[in-house]
Amino acid sequence: MADILDILDIEHPGATEISRDSIIHGDKIKKKYVTAKAVKRPEGMHREVFALLYNDSNKDLPPLLPTDTGKAYKQTKAKLGMRKARKWVWAPFSNPARKDNAVFYHWKRASDETKEYPFAQFNKQVSIPSYTESEYNQYLKSEDWSQAETDHLMDMCQRFDLRFIVIHDRWDRAAFRDRSIEDLKERYYGICASLSKVKTNPWSNTVTTVNGEKRIYHYDAEHERKRKEQLRRLFDRTQEQIDEEQMLLTELKKIEARKRERERKTQDLQKLISRADSGNVPTVNPVPNNTEGTHTPSNATTNIARRHDRKLHKKKLSTQQRPVRTMEAVTVEWSGIKFPEARSTGVWLRSQRMKLPPGVGQRKTKAIEQELRQMNIDIAPTPTEAICKHFNELRSDLALALDLKNALVACEFDLQALRHQYEALNPGKTLTIPASICNATDGETKPMGEIIDVVGSPSALNSTI
Amino acid sequence: MSGPNGMLYGGDEIGALVFDPGHHSLRVGYAQEDTPKADIPAVIGVGPATHIPDAEEKVPDGNVTQSGTKAGNELRHYIDVTELHVARPGMEVQTYMKDGQVDNWDLFEKMLDYCYAKVIRSPSEHHPALFTEAVWTTRPAREKLAELLFEKYQAPAFFLVKNAVLAAFANGKSTALVVDAGASQTSAVPVIDGYALVSAAVRSPVGGDHLAAQAKAMLGSMHIQMLPIYSIQSKEVIRERERARYTLKTLPAGLTHSWQQYMLKRQYEDFCHCVAQVSESAYDERTAASVPGLHYEFPGGYHQDFGPERFKLTECFFEQSLGAPHLVCAAASSCDADARPALWGSVVACGGVANTPGYLDRLTKELASRAPSSHRLKSHAAPSPAERRFAAWIGGSILASIGSFQQMWISSQEYDEGGKGQLERKCP
Repeated sequence: MADILDILDIEHPGATEISRDSIIHGDKIKKKYVTAKAVKRPEGMHREVFALLYNDSNKDLPPLLPTDTGKAYKQTKAKLGMRKARKWVWAPFSNPARKDNAVFYHWKRASDETKEYPFAQFNKQVSIPSYTESEYNQYLKSEDWSQAETDHLMDMCQRFDLRFIVIHDRWDRAAFRDRSIEDLKERYYGICASLSKVKTNPWSNTVTTVNGEKRIYHYDAEHERKRKEQLRRLFDRTQEQIDEEQMLLTELKKIEARKRERERKTQDLQKLISRADSGNVPTVNPVPNNTEGTHTPSNATTNIARRHDRKLHKKKLSTQQRPVRTMEAVTVEWSGIKFPEARSTGVWLRSQRMKLPPGVGQRKTKAIEQELRQMNIDIAPTPTEAICKHFNELRSDLALALDLKNALVACEFDLQALRHQYEALNPGKTLTIPASICNATDGETKPMGEIIDVVGSPSALNSTI
Repeated sequence: MSGPNGMLYGGDEIGALVFDPGHHSLRVGYAQEDTPKADIPAVIGVGPATHIPDAEEKVPDGNVTQSGTKAGNELRHYIDVTELHVARPGMEVQTYMKDGQVDNWDLFEKMLDYCYAKVIRSPSEHHPALFTEAVWTTRPAREKLAELLFEKYQAPAFFLVKNAVLAAFANGKSTALVVDAGASQTSAVPVIDGYALVSAAVRSPVGGDHLAAQAKAMLGSMHIQMLPIYSIQSKEVIRERERARYTLKTLPAGLTHSWQQYMLKRQYEDFCHCVAQVSESAYDERTAASVPGLHYEFPGGYHQDFGPERFKLTECFFEQSLGAPHLVCAAASSCDADARPALWGSVVACGGVANTPGYLDRLTKELASRAPSSHRLKSHAAPSPAERRFAAWIGGSILASIGSFQQMWISSQEYDEGGKGQLERKCP
């Protein structure tokens, strides 16, 4: 009944909001089944046993035929709407974005009848400055541009929404001379700039207001021209040129790699030289230790050689007889820290300069940090030029001091050990160490000619015992 | 149109029609549909009205538009395949297109009459009309079209869009370098933000018609006779490469040369459709020979496998100075340097020839070797053949059903006030 009324467009008074329930159960009178009261489970009967009994009141009757549709017949599959279908009408509309009030027809909801055309909101226009003739004569006169040409430009800007590439494409070449995109942009932004100086209404796209002060977009035509030219050249490269560039780039990489290699070698050499410098002082009197079975390296060069095959050396040492005290030639490994020059080209952070070179071991880094902390110095200060320099110097000095301290301790140890050895080999005799080479309390001395090749690393020290 | 949350989505259909006149066919249909309602050959048979074929009498609703141009010397215009492909004495086949533009306006009017009466079957004053045009369409031609639509057909609104722009839209791009490989020519047109760059557009006369001509020359040199299908009464099943045995139909006398040529051309087109394929790289006898051949049976019954020939045929599309890759490069290099990366990044291929198997792959490959290495090259074409062929029409269909486009139509009111001079302004 309701359907017919709907079709005939007759409002029937009882048409309330149609709910899902009213559609499903429709006009059926809700029948109430009087269900027999469930039979009570007799006392003492297990629940499971009772459930096996057939029960008349059980509505879940077992099906006569096996089905695989489940409960489908009980549910409506159709998801019906809760409301009446809304009407669509083929209706005229006028678009407020149009200036001519043209009327077109489209489908729309009857309920939207009064609404404005929704797509009109997308009618966005670029605001282009306008000028009167007197304004043009007063402010915008240009030797290069006639007023007609300027008018044409402004018109094109409006038509193509400042798409200068398109403007350039559609430029009236018959009436005006051919202009580059940069010329057009320069003129347009020039007009915007000069008009915004004298006029009050700023054009949103070229003038921004920062702190109440007008900022005018300045178009740098020269720069743009140069950029375009470069771009053009970049795009117009021939395959040979590109290949050549690739070749040159790989060459450059090779050269840089070689340079780095060379620098590394120079650094090594530098190290050598500085070590030689520091090593020369103690080896002024190269008196060989008579108790030693091994040779005593007397110059820094051999020290380096030894450093390289320390492992080998260790083995050699272990084969020697135990009681004889071998005197490991010791050396200061570093004379401070040599911070590398920034060698990468391009932009780099100054804090890079404060990075410890990779040659510095962790132990040493820790020790330096410890020292810095004791001195109450930030371990990562702000890398200004001066701070960088001083901080690096300080750490270099610290490293040197630490090295020297280590060396001293090692020598001290050696000295004491030799003294005990001497006393053991010559019972009854005591070795007096002159106070000049000993800062320990007991004053046993060693001959002046003792080689003080200081041990740098404690591991080397251990191997000598 | 508008969603539950006040958002706008979808388009707004106002019953607009989209016409896409081409050299091979005219596509016409309703905006918002995904394929044109009709794809009508762009030729019209003009014959004496005195001859009324039998078929015509049986079907009173035949696709024939009657018109009396001159009293006493009545001419009939036969439009669309069902009418056109019937052998009629004295029926000349004429085209209204020339160089991508409508040239013969009287004939074109007949075509539009036919479209409204037989395809749309609805009065023209109810439907705004969107026309596509070639990029190089001259101003008089555009204005003439607007005049025709407003004054003869009383269209409520009219709009003209460049077909390259629409092809880009159909492929979901507003900036693209559109390679339109059509029947009469191949063109490459840069499109920036929905505006075609007219001065940067390049074209060459190598297209589907050229391919058909090539096929004709090739079959001629192979001494294979292409008989028009209408001339065959019956044919016998023969073995491959055996001499064809067929009986010819008795045809009415006075069939015109133009009609016979037209029918033959359709046959060659069919041959190209079936056989032609684009090789992956420049034609090489040995690689082409390694690809299994394709079988084709001619109307007369003669049939054989075509091997390397089918790759050789399509080489004209990738020819050094007239081929599509060269056109693309020329078009891109005449654009502003700032626009080039975007253009190289979306090269769109469309048109009937772009349906040739392997066309897009070959184009991509050729472009990759020519494009500046600093640009990311990406070429694109719609996956389905219909979408490639009807790219411009589909783009028009999309555009005319967009809500925000409805403000762009030139309405009849505007035309009455401003005349046809505003066409240049309103339809850039």
